[in-house]
This record gives sequence, C-alpha cells and structure tokens, in this order.
Amino acid sequence: MTTLAPVRAPILRLLRSELRWIYRRPRTLILLGLLALYPILFGIGTQVVDAPVRANGDQSVVAAVAGNAMMLPVIVLSTTMVFFLPLGTTMTASDALAGEASHGTLRGLLLAPVSRIRLLAVKAFGVAVVSAGAAVMTALIAFVTGLIIAGPDSLVTFSGTTLPLADGLWRVVVATGWVIVQMWAIGAIALAVSAATEHPLLVMASVIGGLFVFGLLSSIPVLDWLHPFLITESWDSIVDVLRDPMPWENLTTGFLRALCYIVIGYSLALARMVTKDS
Amino acid sequence: MTFAETAGVGTADAVPTPVLAARTRGLRKLYRNTVAVDHVDLDVPEGAVLGMLGPNGSGKTTTIRMMLGLTTPTAGEIELFGARLPEAAQSVLPQVGALVEGPGFHPFLSGRENLLRCAAAEPLLKSAAIPAAVSEALERVGLSDAANRRYRGYSLGMKQRMGLAAALLVPRRFVVLDEPTNGLDPAGTREVRAVIADLHKSGTTVLVSSHLLSEVEATCTHVAVLHQGTVVAQGELKDLLEASNAGLLVSTPEVTAAVDALRDNRIPARAVPDGILVDLAATSAPEVVATLVRADIPVYEVHRQRTGLEDLFAQLTETP
Repeated sequence: MTTLAPVRAPILRLLRSELRWIYRRPRTLILLGLLALYPILFGIGTQVVDAPVRANGDQSVVAAVAGNAMMLPVIVLSTTMVFFLPLGTTMTASDALAGEASHGTLRGLLLAPVSRIRLLAVKAFGVAVVSAGAAVMTALIAFVTGLIIAGPDSLVTFSGTTLPLADGLWRVVVATGWVIVQMWAIGAIALAVSAATEHPLLVMASVIGGLFVFGLLSSIPVLDWLHPFLITESWDSIVDVLRDPMPWENLTTGFLRALCYIVIGYSLALARMVTKDS
Repeated sequence: MTFAETAGVGTADAVPTPVLAARTRGLRKLYRNTVAVDHVDLDVPEGAVLGMLGPNGSGKTTTIRMMLGLTTPTAGEIELFGARLPEAAQSVLPQVGALVEGPGFHPFLSGRENLLRCAAAEPLLKSAAIPAAVSEALERVGLSDAANRRYRGYSLGMKQRMGLAAALLVPRRFVVLDEPTNGLDPAGTREVRAVIADLHKSGTTVLVSSHLLSEVEATCTHVAVLHQGTVVAQGELKDLLEASNAGLLVSTPEVTAAVDALRDNRIPARAVPDGILVDLAATSAPEVVATLVRADIPVYEVHRQRTGLEDLFAQLTETP
C-alpha cells in the first residue's frame, strides 16, 4: 500500500492561477478599461463644459472639480463606488463560485482536490485583488489627470485651504483605502450569494439590486432605525477627506460597518461552501 | 516523464495491500423527498475496469459524485484505497482522476489554458512539470492541433476529449469516467476504449459508467448494474454472463429419451423446438454430454445459449 499523506497544491500557484484566469476574462478587461477612461473623460469634461453657477449661488460639482486637482479623484471615487466598483466586484464574485459551478469547472477544482475552505480563500483573494486594483487604478488616474489639468498648486479643500502635494496625496490614499474596504464588504456578501447558487446573474441581480434598495431605504425617514445597518449609509462620508481638518468620525463608522459586512459575508459563504453539493 | 513523484508510490509497507480501490456501504442519497440512491454497496477491486450500467436516472452519477466527495451522502460510508471519505480527501483524491457529468471548462480560454488552470490545482504535479504534463495530456487525447484554439469553438467530441485530458493530467491510481463516449464519433469511441485499455494495462483502476452496453462488454473486467438507485448485480463480467446464461442447447432427434435420461440423473432439462435445453445451474456441459452419450442418445450439436450483456441488463432492469 502506498503511504497516503495529504498533499496540497502550493497556495501561491493557486492564487496566481486564479488571478491569471480573472484578468484574462474579456469582461474584466472591458470594465477596467471603462474605469480607466472615466476619470480622464470626467477631467476633460470639466474643462470643456462651461459649468453654470446654480441659482442658489452654489457651484455645481462640475464647476467645483474644474481647476481643483484635489476634487477630481475624490469625486471620481465617490461616483464610481456607487456603481462601477460594486459592479466589478460583484461580477468577479459571481464568476468566482456561481460562474465556475455553472461551467462545471468548480467540480474540477474540488476534485483536484482543493479543499473547500482553501478554495473560498483563493476566491476571496481574487475578488479582493480585483476590487482593490480597480479602485487604486481609478484613483491614481484621476489624481494624475487632476494634477495635469489643474496643476499641483490647486489642491483646494471644501474649507478653502490649499493642501501641499504630499498631504493631498495622503488624503487620496485614505479615500482609496476606505473605498477598497467598502468594496471588500460588497465582495464578501456577493461571494456568499455566489456560493449559494449556480446562476451568476442571480448574484449580480441580488447584490446590485440590493444596493439600489439600500439607497431607497436610506431615503425614507420613517425607517431611520434601519439606517445604521445599511452599508450605503456611510458612503457619502467619503467627501469628508476634502474638509480641513479632516473629520474622521463618519469615515470610521463606515469602516467598522464594512468590517461587520465582511465578517458576516464570509461566515455565510464559508457555511454554505462546506455543505454545498457541487 | 516529468511528472512529480507521487508520495511514496511503490514503497513496501507493513499494511497489507487493500484489494479494493473503492468501496461503498449502505450509500443513500435523498434529494428533498426523492430517494436518488439507496443501499448502494459497491466494490471496485484494485486493477479492475468496472463498468457501471444502468438506465437514465438509475443513480449512476449520484453514486459517482458521492464517491468523489462532491456530494455528501445522506447515509452510508465511502472508502477509497481503504481510507474514509471525506476525511481522507486530501490524501486520496490527488490519486483519482475523474470526468463527471460532462466536461467543464471556460469557453474564453484555449484548451491549453484551461488545462494549465486544472494542472495548477493538481497536488501531485510539480510547478515545473505542468507545461509538459498538459502537452502530454493533449497529445494523448489527440487535441494537440487544437490546443491553442478557444474552448468555445470546440466540437462536442473535442470537449469530451478535453474532459478526458483533465482526468489524465497526472498518472492516477483510479480513474472515474462518467459516460466518457458521449458525443464521440465511432473513431473517438475506439480511442476512449484504447485509453481505458492503456490505463488497465498500467495497473490503474477504472470505473466507467455507460449506457452503451457494448462499450462495457468490450472494455470491462467487472460490471455493476444499477437500477432505481440500487445495485441489482455486480461482479466479474464473465461470472455475471455465466450466471445469466445457464442454458445448454442440445440438438438431438430423440428428444423425449434425452430429457428422460437427464432427468434420471437429476439434471433439469426440457424440450425446445430445436432439441432440448439443459439448465446448467447445478451441472456442467461435459457432464451433460457424458450423460447423454452413456444413454446412447445421438447428439448432433451442443452449444451454450449466450444471452450477452444486453439480455442480462434487460432481465435485471425490467420493472416487474
């Protein structure tokens, strides 16, 4: 009898193989391309469009962004985080388990075998890398575009102060990191749904649909007791990085809220994963 | 060969060699309120080619999925090489290659890319050996020329070959093939048969499920017949065939005398249009002939009434 010792494929090889697979998907590349174009078009648009001052005397967002290198990356992040970034994250998560199950490739991995817990870890890693990568890329392109358009002396905050370049960069980094954690929370929930179904579209519909419902619920005052539980509740606070001095309170609450979603999401995903029939 | 060395293959051990590559006892699977599989006691002897036969919906695939740890049984136990599943999955499954429920690959990747991805997950493959192992598997199933085309454009037969290639990426001790000839043309079917024969020759245990009886008859040493979720017969192919055709057809002009002579010797026989039919359950062909000759009965011709697997299968799976 041969000695039967447990053997595992090297984890780095699995992670590399996972990333290779994700970044070879046409749809991943298309989405990343759109995300890369968005800040550039947004920046150019603010220069080209002669934004009118609103009736109440406030500047529109477009007018605020024009001529301010600090504003562009933060506004770009705050607008992508409500749709494009969750879309990319959810898309990756839906392909990760539900998509693989529907193609019959999940079986292959489980048969190799990759243990179910390890497989979930590999998938979580893939989703985390995609969402973080997309957010970093978008923020970086937006920051550079802003600097090119408005110059490094134009890092003006909401409070009217002008920031030195290093300080401005630091705030963009904080905003990006904060957005990444929010996206990881979305990814955790999406992976939990993904583990529970064989239909990738169901994952997309439920998570993106869920975000819209959250947006609706948070606009209904009667349901204010529910609002602290909604992840979207703190998403407006990203613009806090544009204030001087920076108020941390709402950002911290949002961060902790996202952590709760991550813990809950991965607990559910793990529970489903170990009992799943594939 | 550039395959990674399997953990201690060939080392003599104090533990006696298990005779069974796979063994299930009392396997049962319920889907909601439907019993998919019940009381499945399956033995797959090591080195055998076991054909799993059964009509559609008889529980073949469910049994296979449970044996590979893909589905959790409602009750019962599974052993591969004497080790219990699912506990021992990480040590035994690397030695098992499988094609279950059709091939599963990503349409936007080429055949080679798909196999590289499968190979990355194979515990017994060293990273440096992966490209060679993939090329070799593609070669073995005749897909080398199409290796760099997208899987999306593959024909049904080519997809099936890909599934086979994934199962054969690593030298295995046990290969499970669920309907491997689905979608293959006659030439492809012959190639699969050749692959199975190859595996058998190299000592690999093979479990092949099929609804094509001729396939099983041509390639298998053992057979298990499933019907309505239970094993209705299993054993060596020749034993099963023998047990099912316990009849000897004797042509003779003196039918009555022959039947009497045999009955005198407590051998059951009866008259049929061409002569007499002797039940071989309790006796053997030479003894029947000797008895008839001793009784001075002219015998023109003696031959076994062969039923073949088809009849056996029909007998076993006909709903009473």
